[in-house]
Amino acid sequence: MTGSFRKTMMAAMLLLLTLPLPQAQAAAPRYERSVHNFSIPDIVLVNQDRKRVRLKSIIDTEKMVIVDFIYGTCTTICPVLSAGYANLQRKLGKDSEKVHLISITIDPENDTPEVMKEYLERYRSKPGWDFLTGSRQDINRVMNAFDSYFRDKMDHKPLTFIHSPEDGTWIRLYGLLSGKDFIKECEKVGVL
Amino acid sequence: MACSAAKTLSKNVKKWGFYNVSMSFSKSRIALVFFFATALCLSGRLVSSAWAGTDLPPEKIQELGQKMYRDGVLPSGESIKAFVSDDVPVDGTAFTCVSCHLHSGMGSIEGEVITPPTNGRILYEPREPFIKGYEHVPSFSNYAKYLPVRPAYTDQTLAELIQGGVDPTGRSVLHVMPRYDIYGKDMDILIAYLKTLSDHPSPGVSKEQIKFATVIVEGTDPQAVKSMLDPIQFGIDRKNALAIAAGNNDRVARMGYNMLGPDLMAKKFTLSHWILKGAPETWRAQLEDYYQNEPVFALLGGISAGDWAPVHHFCEDKHLPNLFPVVDYPVLSDTDWYTLYLSRGIRQEGEAAARYLMSIQSLLKDGAILQVYRDSRRGQALADGFRQIWNAAGNTAAIEVTLPPGEKLTKTQLQQLLNKHKPVAVIVWDDETALPALTEVATEKSHPNFFVTSATWLDQSIYSVPEPLRGFLYMTYPYRLPQEEARFKNLLNKVLQGKSIAQYDEKIFKKGYITNQMIGDALMEMRSEYYSDFLLDTIGMMEDTYLPLYERLTFGPGQRYASKGCFIVQLSEGDAPKLERRSEWIIK
Repeated sequence: MTGSFRKTMMAAMLLLLTLPLPQAQAAAPRYERSVHNFSIPDIVLVNQDRKRVRLKSIIDTEKMVIVDFIYGTCTTICPVLSAGYANLQRKLGKDSEKVHLISITIDPENDTPEVMKEYLERYRSKPGWDFLTGSRQDINRVMNAFDSYFRDKMDHKPLTFIHSPEDGTWIRLYGLLSGKDFIKECEKVGVL
Repeated sequence: MACSAAKTLSKNVKKWGFYNVSMSFSKSRIALVFFFATALCLSGRLVSSAWAGTDLPPEKIQELGQKMYRDGVLPSGESIKAFVSDDVPVDGTAFTCVSCHLHSGMGSIEGEVITPPTNGRILYEPREPFIKGYEHVPSFSNYAKYLPVRPAYTDQTLAELIQGGVDPTGRSVLHVMPRYDIYGKDMDILIAYLKTLSDHPSPGVSKEQIKFATVIVEGTDPQAVKSMLDPIQFGIDRKNALAIAAGNNDRVARMGYNMLGPDLMAKKFTLSHWILKGAPETWRAQLEDYYQNEPVFALLGGISAGDWAPVHHFCEDKHLPNLFPVVDYPVLSDTDWYTLYLSRGIRQEGEAAARYLMSIQSLLKDGAILQVYRDSRRGQALADGFRQIWNAAGNTAAIEVTLPPGEKLTKTQLQQLLNKHKPVAVIVWDDETALPALTEVATEKSHPNFFVTSATWLDQSIYSVPEPLRGFLYMTYPYRLPQEEARFKNLLNKVLQGKSIAQYDEKIFKKGYITNQMIGDALMEMRSEYYSDFLLDTIGMMEDTYLPLYERLTFGPGQRYASKGCFIVQLSEGDAPKLERRSEWIIK
């Protein structure tokens, strides 16, 4: 290999290093997004304060409602989803009043109101984030309503649903969102 | 269990493919999430050599490293800071290493997330798409082939992984793993701790065998002891028969190899009986002697009609797993680790009664609740369970009356209490001697509509509850209903081996059966990594389990009471009455 050829190659490589990465790789979303219409069952669940809440009534409001399915002793996906909720509340500041975050347990056997309250405290939740439990039958009905039935809690998936109060549709987000992506998706709903 | 985990893994991988940094993330629709955990250190390196980066004594480093790993707290006492999902700041106390890599550091499989082992021995070896020596064992190879290959970590590359989420191949690990702000000596301490995790097999395990023991408190009803022991001994004998047969028959050897792998297939099991005599205060010394003479991998089952706390605390101190002792009064703790109980014991029925009454509060119309309980350990446990749940929910405390030992509840006494307090519901925690008084009151023109009692305390008397009382008596029943147990008959018959279940205490026999089943399932999942913490981690990550006796056994990391439910039942009318459900298994 001659010296001039080597210099040419070096220059070419340096030039390559200065080029931007392909857009597809740099900005590829890490989650799936789809829009759905779900029919929410008219059931009563119990929140972290032992209050009985009618699911339909806390969803059909003027607020943006975000729902995920987690459980208190989960070691992997749920902590990340919950960190996303906590981060969203922090980032939104006063605007967080316009958003109602709802986590629904998929481990009703273990997630008593006491367990759920402690869980929310661990994530330093602010008012506007409820953790709901209920009978296994009712929890199954909710999961089915969101087309997200998990046969077992160990078989669950990272799903987040955003309800638009404007048109009643649900945005289904499948994956673990960055903080920026999560806020962006909320902004698309238009309430913020 | 092994099969189900492998199937789930296989299914998910087929669906999602691997996360590979060299490809666009969008191509593999995210999902199968790999943690490329941890750490380094050459296999077999001694703990002491790992402390080289610090000037603290090994014990201190172990203590501080454990606090980082388990609690997410730096040696300074501050929380470890971290980021997940790129830009979401999190507190290390909510995102500890242990939460995903578990106590043993052997990792886990949950849903779409595979968390590889983080113990030094494995981290400091290159990862291949197989486990050496187990290449053709389905459960082993299914596990190994889905983990990306990588070279062995070094202290440097491990630190880079923990801080930046990049493994030695330059591959970014999934964003479910936090990127931790840990530097300098703190990182040295954490890495040194990882090197000690699951470093050598736990006591009681040798190349040839795994030793188990069961603890029997002297004076326990011999039929109860036999009922607990026989199913467990059956499992031990069956395993040993397989080991022998595999040595003599190629076909059996192939089957055993595929199911268990060569190591577990060849090992024999032993089960010693540790008999505890005298007062509970003396048990500790007896247990120390037993354990010193014969270290065991785990205690299977065990039985006591009274105390169990000394055994529980012994297991905590020795890091000795105890699977499902047959006890009515388990130690209740949110943090203790080494004993797995079948339920919260007698107390769970009291808790269920409180939850049931809260679920029908609209019928009770804020009326008074009367709780009458026998002044005995059983009565107090039931009353405590009710009181705690009922009061914690902000209800007006129940009116409480104790029945002195030996003093039978009479109709006059009960009627006086009703006249005085006018309760809308009456809870009576007592044995069958209370039934006549309850029946007589129930035949009066005016009485509360809800009487609650414990079916397990009434025992077989539940089927002789007089007709006038049946419509008003609600009983806590912490098992699957008898008429729904028939589907398990064939399973139990295999263990009974021609004997009649009538020879046994049926419920205790089924508890022994559960222990036998769970230890077998767990060992098949453990990939021949015999660490006591990994045994408990493995059971903690199991899916819901459906076995005889309990409606459902559920686990989860850190959960220590497998059956969490209780039915409220009533006795049907007629000469051949059956128990009828009045609640779900889990009452909310």
